[in-house]
Amino acid sequence: MKLKPHPLTWWIWSAALAIGIARANNFWHSILIVGLVSLVVLQNKEDAPWSKSFLWSAKVALAVIMIRLFIGIVIGVPIPGTKLFTLPHLPLPSWMPGIRIGGPVMLERITSTLHEAVILAGIILILGAASSLTSPYRLLRTLPIYIYEVGVAVVIATTLLPQLVSSVYRIRQAQKLRGQKERGLAAWKRVAIPVLEESLARALDLAAAMDSRGYGYSRKRSRYRPISWRATDSIVALASIASFISPYLLFFCAVIPLGLRSRELVNR
Amino acid sequence: MIVFSNVSLIYPNSTRTVIEDLSMSIAEGEFVLVIGPTGSGKSSLLRLINGLVPHHTGGILAGDISVNGISTQSVKPGGLAHLIGIVGQNPLNGFVADTVEEELVFGMEALNLPAETMRKRVEEILDLLSLAPLRNRSIATLSGGEQQRVAIGSALVMHPKVLVLDEPTSALDPIAAEEVLSILHRLVHDLSLTVVIAEHKLERVIQFADRIIRINDLGASEIGKPEEIMKTSDIAPPIVHLARALGLNEVGLTVREVRRMSEDFRNQQFEIQAPVEVIPGREIIRISKLEVSYAKQLVLIANEISMNEGEIIAIMGRNGAGKSSLLRAIAGINSHAKGSITIAGMETAQLKGSLRRSHIAFVPQEPSDLLYAQSVKIECSQADKDNGVESGVTYALLNELTPNISTHVHPRDLSEGQRLALALSVVLSAKPLVLILDEPTRGLDYQAKKSLTKVLINYAKVLKQTIILATHDVELVAELATRVIFIADGEIVADGPTIEVLLSSPAFAPQVAKVMSPARWLTVADVIKAIPK
Repeated sequence: MKLKPHPLTWWIWSAALAIGIARANNFWHSILIVGLVSLVVLQNKEDAPWSKSFLWSAKVALAVIMIRLFIGIVIGVPIPGTKLFTLPHLPLPSWMPGIRIGGPVMLERITSTLHEAVILAGIILILGAASSLTSPYRLLRTLPIYIYEVGVAVVIATTLLPQLVSSVYRIRQAQKLRGQKERGLAAWKRVAIPVLEESLARALDLAAAMDSRGYGYSRKRSRYRPISWRATDSIVALASIASFISPYLLFFCAVIPLGLRSRELVNR
Repeated sequence: MIVFSNVSLIYPNSTRTVIEDLSMSIAEGEFVLVIGPTGSGKSSLLRLINGLVPHHTGGILAGDISVNGISTQSVKPGGLAHLIGIVGQNPLNGFVADTVEEELVFGMEALNLPAETMRKRVEEILDLLSLAPLRNRSIATLSGGEQQRVAIGSALVMHPKVLVLDEPTSALDPIAAEEVLSILHRLVHDLSLTVVIAEHKLERVIQFADRIIRINDLGASEIGKPEEIMKTSDIAPPIVHLARALGLNEVGLTVREVRRMSEDFRNQQFEIQAPVEVIPGREIIRISKLEVSYAKQLVLIANEISMNEGEIIAIMGRNGAGKSSLLRAIAGINSHAKGSITIAGMETAQLKGSLRRSHIAFVPQEPSDLLYAQSVKIECSQADKDNGVESGVTYALLNELTPNISTHVHPRDLSEGQRLALALSVVLSAKPLVLILDEPTRGLDYQAKKSLTKVLINYAKVLKQTIILATHDVELVAELATRVIFIADGEIVADGPTIEVLLSSPAFAPQVAKVMSPARWLTVADVIKAIPK
């Protein structure tokens, strides 16, 4: 079994990096940090559902850049600078002053938009990295005991979501086999009804199972294998705090988890 | 250990008594089997033991149930969690955690046991159920048998005195079922655990039972030794039917017993029957160079299979061997499949709409996936419209399958067998060339299985259609199939007439064949046919 860092460590680390790149506000700086973070994610990759969230955040980040660029080019307040090309101008009514659609596109406009977009995308990616590195279940187990019971319920609810997705998929496929049309409102109704019925039945089953296993019966709840905070966690956390001193320390902070690797535990 | 005194149960909004005036007591270390037709209240009886009924479901309970001296009326099910472990019909629905280890400790955490105790018990259970290699695995990735073992493990880890199981082997292949049941058998003998189990496939469990509780549709019940109950019960494994057919004085419950009893019979000389000459029909399905892979892993490979008109083909193999992958590939809905599969010359993946309906019918593991209407009547008329047949055809077909279904009932409220019949008639009214069924007998009792078998054989013989089914049910295959394709680890290891394939593997041989070996008979009907008049 591999010794994993404390889940909170990852969140402290990524929060520090995200704040860091926002403060540094530098294009190349944030690109470099994101590169290093991707390295860390790649190195600690697990085959778990939440590991995909980095990939998802990469897609979101890309979309953010695209949208920001599109808006930057098409809609904008005229600023002086080097003119690249001119888009056809869309006349707007007089009660919308200061907004302009189309018109000349400036180089400065594009670079500043790109700059903002990259920093925003960087923050999204870094937070995505943290969520792909920590199991939500492990994170939950670090919660204080008095909100733990509620947390357990929340996590169980989240495990139902993938089941819901798979039953939608399964039922859609079955309907396809019946030769039904796959689009339109009626098609969705045909899928939604069995899915809802199934999830209701499943929820009742689950409630019965939890009930008969003593969930919520005892006022206190003990913990199997509590997650402990170790020296390596302190090192990462300290490095994260130190990174606030200078943007250059941020690089050090970003790579520090790379050194934490491969601590295999022989006996627990 | 468990005492029922004058227990009667009625659910609200229902006039039928589920259980009527049941008094019995189950001693410590007993293995008790509950039998009865589907919908007869077996599950209710099991859930009465830890108070899920009526605390969780509602209903009017008369009389009293006590377990280890605690009345279920005075405590909630949670209060009995340390005493009773309960494993539901579908273990996946009851899982709460993501990994095996977490799942095992869930109940103990809830009961606030100290961490050291939990550590010890988890290791103990992992060893006892051979789950140790799976401890960090995600539960969703486990096979059916493994999931069932985890479910049993998470009940046993609480050190209960009673273990209640609702159809624990219905989703398992014969070998995995054997594994689970022998673990239970060992626990009963080693730890004096009390086990109450409901099961349809009696041939799997009856040999382990100390006593049987039989419930009928009207809520009446009787309890007795397996030999006594089996003398009169119409719900009985093939081995009991065999003993009756041979006119033996007693019924035997294991292959060994019946072999001993039928020695005289087996020593007689029988005319060797010439194998029935099967004239193969026209080729209807052709599969060539099929490969299915998930996440770059090859899960199924089949070079050349051809299936003919009028054949009933059973696809067998262990859980996760690739049966469903093959079925879905044949149906043309397996997006991971490469290669060519044609039905009557048409690529199945390209079939759409009414052309699809008239070529392939597919009934998935959950027949209700196909159903979406609010009542049987609407469902049938929708099918009539879709399939372009006269109105009433689907309902007539349904009536043939299971007579007297009320048209106003919601499909969810039908019994398993009736729901399967409804799904079947919906797809069959289009008169498809090929019918594909995935695990059709899950949760069906003997009666429902018998009528299904009759309908399917009739369908294949009269209409010359092809039927393909994946199943774990050896006895069903013996009764129904003309040909068996056996898959192991993604490869086809045997393909031939049912009798050849079933008799070549002891784990997949039906009971009658085991008793009558070396004579080559698969079913009770085969034996009766051979008896000289």
